[in-house]
Amino acid sequence: MSQSVIAGPIPRETGPAATNPVSDIPIRASRTREFRPYPFRAAVHAAVIPPLRDGVEMSRHPVVVVGGGPVGLTTALGLARHDVPVVLIEADDGVCAGSRAICISRRSLEIFDRLGAAAGFLDIGLPWTGGRSFYRDTEVLHFRMPHDELQKHPPMVNLAQYHIEQILLEAAEGDAGRIDIRWQTRVTSIEARADGAMLTLSTPDGAYRMHADWVVAADGGRSFVRESLGLPLRGTSYQGRYVIVDILLDSDRPTERLAYFDPPCNPGSTVLVHKQPHGVWRIDYQLREDEDSEAAVQPGNVIPRVESLLDMMGERADWSPVWISLYRANALTLDRYRHGRVLFAGDAAHLMPIFGVRGANSGIDDADNLAWKLAYVVRGLAGEALLETYSDERVAAARENLEHGAKSTEFMAPPSFAFDLMRTAVLGLAARHPAVRALINPRQTSAITYTRSPLNTPDIVDAFDAGPVPGAVLPACPVTLPATPDDAGASRIGHVTDLLGMGFTALWFVDDAEPRTSFDAVLASMRARGVPFVEVPIRRRAPSSDGWFGAIDHTGRLFPMFGARPGTVYLVRPDGHVLARWQRPDVGSIQRALDRVLAPGNRWGALS
Amino acid sequence: MTASELDAVYTRLCQAMTTLGEPAATLFLARFALLAITHIDDSSAVTRLIDDAAEAFEPTPGD
Repeated sequence: MSQSVIAGPIPRETGPAATNPVSDIPIRASRTREFRPYPFRAAVHAAVIPPLRDGVEMSRHPVVVVGGGPVGLTTALGLARHDVPVVLIEADDGVCAGSRAICISRRSLEIFDRLGAAAGFLDIGLPWTGGRSFYRDTEVLHFRMPHDELQKHPPMVNLAQYHIEQILLEAAEGDAGRIDIRWQTRVTSIEARADGAMLTLSTPDGAYRMHADWVVAADGGRSFVRESLGLPLRGTSYQGRYVIVDILLDSDRPTERLAYFDPPCNPGSTVLVHKQPHGVWRIDYQLREDEDSEAAVQPGNVIPRVESLLDMMGERADWSPVWISLYRANALTLDRYRHGRVLFAGDAAHLMPIFGVRGANSGIDDADNLAWKLAYVVRGLAGEALLETYSDERVAAARENLEHGAKSTEFMAPPSFAFDLMRTAVLGLAARHPAVRALINPRQTSAITYTRSPLNTPDIVDAFDAGPVPGAVLPACPVTLPATPDDAGASRIGHVTDLLGMGFTALWFVDDAEPRTSFDAVLASMRARGVPFVEVPIRRRAPSSDGWFGAIDHTGRLFPMFGARPGTVYLVRPDGHVLARWQRPDVGSIQRALDRVLAPGNRWGALS
Repeated sequence: MTASELDAVYTRLCQAMTTLGEPAATLFLARFALLAITHIDDSSAVTRLIDDAAEAFEPTPGD
């Protein structure tokens, strides 16, 4: 999210305001409102200077990640899980403050689950499945995101970015042997070289230089690395401006997305409301074209608007402002995310519009895509060309996200009189004419399919009538898993995504018994190359003997969902995307699909 | 028509109107209404749509 912070959580008296300066609607009796801090205390971390020789750090690092936000932390965790040591450079002395990302998608939860960090998100985050839109005083849409009993995770959880970072930081601190975090350290120059980069770093205790073989730039919307390399973002900057206000309010209202179009409390404006944990509420409202940005974020102007919104919502409890900032919608991306030995991820690579919550979530997806590929290249398991596919896949994903984000933005912040006029028509008709309600649906983020990825092995024509295509993520479905070693005898219910290992996984659909033949040759060849590969039988019926492994499709829904019959194989990548699938593959097919990913000299361009 | 097809034609309509400019918008919508009427080719359906469009008509804010 790109936003400039205007007013921080600085305790201050706010002047009494008699009327809402925009709507002229009388507000509650004027009173002062003290700012209160977020209900969170970030630990402060000191800068550390490593052993130097002539001002240069003595160790040369295989990977340096610049930026300790959600994207940098996810990248570092992913690299560490693939056994690559990482240095993480963070300019601040702890996790972030202020109003930033708050919505974490199901796909992001799946990624954190694989990184062993999902529990914290599910413990703290508030799950939600839908929302309501109002036009003036009438509810015109009650939408629900795709959700059913087969899912492992809710479609969305809300939590503050400081929680997101804290949970990931604790996971990273648990892997301190491989993740070395340099707090209060700022990159002041980067010199890109053919075999890596030389970074100059400044800290309160002095400056030093550092050699890196690879640099991941996850340093946010105003990326220093991107600007140093002179790389332009391309796309659209929208005119619409939003004020983002976090407040503390005690309310047992359910967690859902609330959108108010032209509300009585603030005629002509659009207001969004989201609940966060620990009594924090996010309120976003659009500024009209004739409003001055600087004046609009002054507490004297913000507080009456929030006051009249809460009045309209029927929220009577006392509340306090916490943070006020201004947001402008951008829809921009770099053309390529790999520039030699420097790779861009998250806001450093692309700026998504706020509507549809694609900012942090698309960055987390970048990190997940990049981590295994970079790890495989660093460890010599794959050729450098694999990193081009990071750029191919994630630039394509960014363009798809930008297209959806632009659609959301066109509705939420109409870019011309025509979009504005048509929106008024949609909102006015929606209460009585359900057919137009789909146009109000906020089009929240969903998992992206890498349809055109050069890594995919295309299906044999007509081989499948259902199931995730090459490039797609696995759909959710419960399965029975065998007993764990410390829970002997009892099987348990898990999900199909729990079957994925850290490497490549062949999901092998079988009847009940072990397959008669197995892919020993693939296993042996992958083992010889050091590439993690597992084959996991998914059984249509429970096996008669104990001591089985893999999974049982006890609901009977997994086989049809995957278009599978005994003999079907889905080959899945380390990031959970399907690489290839066959109804009855031979060893050579599987080997070739893996070689397409790992072998350095592939002419990938010709295959797309 | 799927939701995404509806979305696409809605956007196309908005863009066409944006290109023509605000002074031409009323005539553009009138022309579109006429073409839609002749395409629908069902007088009772069109009569109902005219009544629906006029029902609970509220001016846009700022008008």
